[in-house]
Amino acid sequence: MSSSTPRSTIAAGVAMLTVVGLLGACGGGGGPVQQASTDGKPVYGGTLTYLEHQPPTCLYLPAAGFYPNGGILNQITDKLTWQNPKTLEIEPWIATKWEVGKDATEYTFHLRDGVTFSDGTPLDAEAVAANFDVYGLGDDKLKLPVAEFVNNYKRSEVVDRLTVKFFFDKPSPGFLQGTSVIGAGLVSKKTISLPYEEQCQLKNIAGSGPFTVKNQVIDKQIDLAARKDYNWAPKSSQHQGRAYLDEIKVIVTPEDNVRVGALTSGQADFVRYVQAYDEETVKSAGHTIYAEPTRGVNNGLYLRPGNSILKDLDVRKALQAGTDAKEVVDTLFTPSYPLATSVLSHLAQGYVDLSKELAYDPAKANALLDKAGWVRGADGIRAKDSVKLQLGVFIAGPQPLSKQTLELIGQQWAKLGVKLEIRPADAGTQAVDIKNAEKTALAHTMVGRADQDVIKSQFHSENRDVILSQDEKLDRLLEQESAEPDTAARNAKVAEIQRYVIEQGYTIPLFEEPQVYGGAPHVHGVAFEAVARPAFYSAWKSNQD
Amino acid sequence: MTRYLLSRVGQAALVLWAAFTAGYILLQLLPGDSVLIKFQNPELGLSPEQIAEIRAYYSGGNPPLVDYLHTLLGFARGSFGYSIDTGTPVVERLAEALPETAKLASAGFLLAVLIALVIAFAAGYSRTSWIRGALLSMPSLFVSVPVFWLGIVLIQVFSFRLGLVPVIGGSPAQQLILPVLTLAVPISAPIAQVLARSIDQVYTQPFVPVVAAKGASRWWILWRHVARNAVLPTLTMAGLTIGELIAGSVVTETVFGRNGIGRLTEQAVNAQDTPVMLAIVVLAATVFVLVNLVIDLLFPVLDPRLEVAA
Repeated sequence: MSSSTPRSTIAAGVAMLTVVGLLGACGGGGGPVQQASTDGKPVYGGTLTYLEHQPPTCLYLPAAGFYPNGGILNQITDKLTWQNPKTLEIEPWIATKWEVGKDATEYTFHLRDGVTFSDGTPLDAEAVAANFDVYGLGDDKLKLPVAEFVNNYKRSEVVDRLTVKFFFDKPSPGFLQGTSVIGAGLVSKKTISLPYEEQCQLKNIAGSGPFTVKNQVIDKQIDLAARKDYNWAPKSSQHQGRAYLDEIKVIVTPEDNVRVGALTSGQADFVRYVQAYDEETVKSAGHTIYAEPTRGVNNGLYLRPGNSILKDLDVRKALQAGTDAKEVVDTLFTPSYPLATSVLSHLAQGYVDLSKELAYDPAKANALLDKAGWVRGADGIRAKDSVKLQLGVFIAGPQPLSKQTLELIGQQWAKLGVKLEIRPADAGTQAVDIKNAEKTALAHTMVGRADQDVIKSQFHSENRDVILSQDEKLDRLLEQESAEPDTAARNAKVAEIQRYVIEQGYTIPLFEEPQVYGGAPHVHGVAFEAVARPAFYSAWKSNQD
Repeated sequence: MTRYLLSRVGQAALVLWAAFTAGYILLQLLPGDSVLIKFQNPELGLSPEQIAEIRAYYSGGNPPLVDYLHTLLGFARGSFGYSIDTGTPVVERLAEALPETAKLASAGFLLAVLIALVIAFAAGYSRTSWIRGALLSMPSLFVSVPVFWLGIVLIQVFSFRLGLVPVIGGSPAQQLILPVLTLAVPISAPIAQVLARSIDQVYTQPFVPVVAAKGASRWWILWRHVARNAVLPTLTMAGLTIGELIAGSVVTETVFGRNGIGRLTEQAVNAQDTPVMLAIVVLAATVFVLVNLVIDLLFPVLDPRLEVAA
């Protein structure tokens, strides 16, 4: 770390000279130099200090969804396609063009020439085929599991050096978007043929991204260095060529107020996971809050019909009507956390506004519980056949302020005569009990992905299955959505599913979960992929100190 | 002396074995296991059958007793197995973490002793009762300050407000300052308390007025006569603080984002990484046993009366 001092001093000197030069040219002369380069013209060089909340875990690409993993992998890998986060359109990146054939059962990608991985091997059709064969089919021998974002995959075919074709058993309209997600980062043939344990380790990941790993202190710090020969940014990117920054230091800083304090005191440039209650501190110090939407299934409670109490639709509907999500957002969160108006984010594909169906109505909730035969006892908690209306839920580590959210909902439910048993999440107990609807009646969770398939990921009995679904109709609807090649028809299906899961009381959506970052005022050009992982390719620092 | 030494070493080995066995059994009793925790990641979408397969692959499918003996033999030979969470050898992870914690803990301990000496001696020397009272109440205050809170306050004040020490970046020495202070404050408390109290006790002994009558100065009495006699219980106490040093480093390392045994412990517990946890238990027990062995062996050196007794 001390080695960076001479270089940054030089950089600061250069920046000062530049500014002085500019001032001279303007004839301004003599004015105090306040800040280098505020003219918005990007500057090359410098080191960005980025504070992460948690250390990355296994870096096998399909497991990249975990934000600490994605924050690293998004800098060191590229994808076949780029999803424009504004329009959600799929645009060329490593693939310059593509054809989708036969009801989305065949995809042909034409690759950019001259792209290489950081281990020197070419990014060609063979490498791409090897990547997707693993992501689509898994590899039992190497213990590599299938990736969530590829459905119905059959095989690949290398047509020529720069053309690759994929075949599917059933229509797989989500595949094109699937090639743009964080987990679809391309790695060299050597990396993809390693066993799972090896692919988990950062030192073995050779991608083609704008940064490469320079140094790693496991669980503490990862230094990324710009790849000087990088020249294959997405076609629509304004910036081309190598990254502006020379280096990124990703430092794991688990303490919330240390991250925020380090940012506002100038010791760090960019931090992930600013808690709602810290946003004001960051803003009042003149720094920027980036609340990036995750465009998927909303943060909420997911009710499990397999539970002996929740199997009654009236009870589920009562809890849905008796939860005041607005109070949760207003009390605990900030405008960065928009109130949910459906099970999907309003920026998700196929979203429909169901806020009427989700209106807070405690009278209706009480009436439904009365109707279902739950009678208030002396302690205020309802009971039926000497069973108390008590439901268990785990505090969800990855969800922001999960404990406080659940406690507030617990208070709301107590008014209805329902006891919410909030359990702290020790990993072992949770791993055992999370799949037990009797003990864990509800799950507090969300999932982000900017494709219609996100709702299938959350609810299908063979995917995340957060409600431990026994609902064959729901599975069938999700499968139809996932295999529908026509976008309009697919969006209609997504709308139908949203209505269905809300009608069935499977979900109590709370808010549209953002990823909240804080950035210093001298940091510019940080971009985010569609699900809010940062991309530092176009980022630059205007104070090169 | 040799017999004494041998019996102490034998006791130490027994303690280590007991710590290993207790650790082993307790870790087996925990609900869930690291394979489940790691592979139930919904993104991986593995079925329970697939997870069971992976588990069999890791455990080798041995019956518990065989597995226990196998692990015990491994530990005896210095091979601690592989971390299930990261797939790296446990020895490697310990080797990375240990020097960092050793630096932190030893510096923290030295500073704690220094703080304790200053408090106890100042209190022993002082004749003004309110100063004495204030000094003597400091250990109680120190021990009740939560390490976590202290660390955050120190960071906020010295790093973020005053900008004296960077928390992010900075030289290795700079990075040690605040964590060492955080760790030293609560550790100094019991040492100071015991030292101050035994200084008081020694003062009540008849030889003190005799020495004073011979014309020794107050400082001479405190330093040459009282302190030497008061140091033994303090040494025992200092040995016992090793446990607190390890516990304190878990919190300190997390607050300051330092790598070390403490952080490793926290992560291993979160991931229920049994091989790593077991190695840490045995490591902590070893340090504890060694330090206390050294202290017991030091006793006769410091106090000739004990050598006769032995």
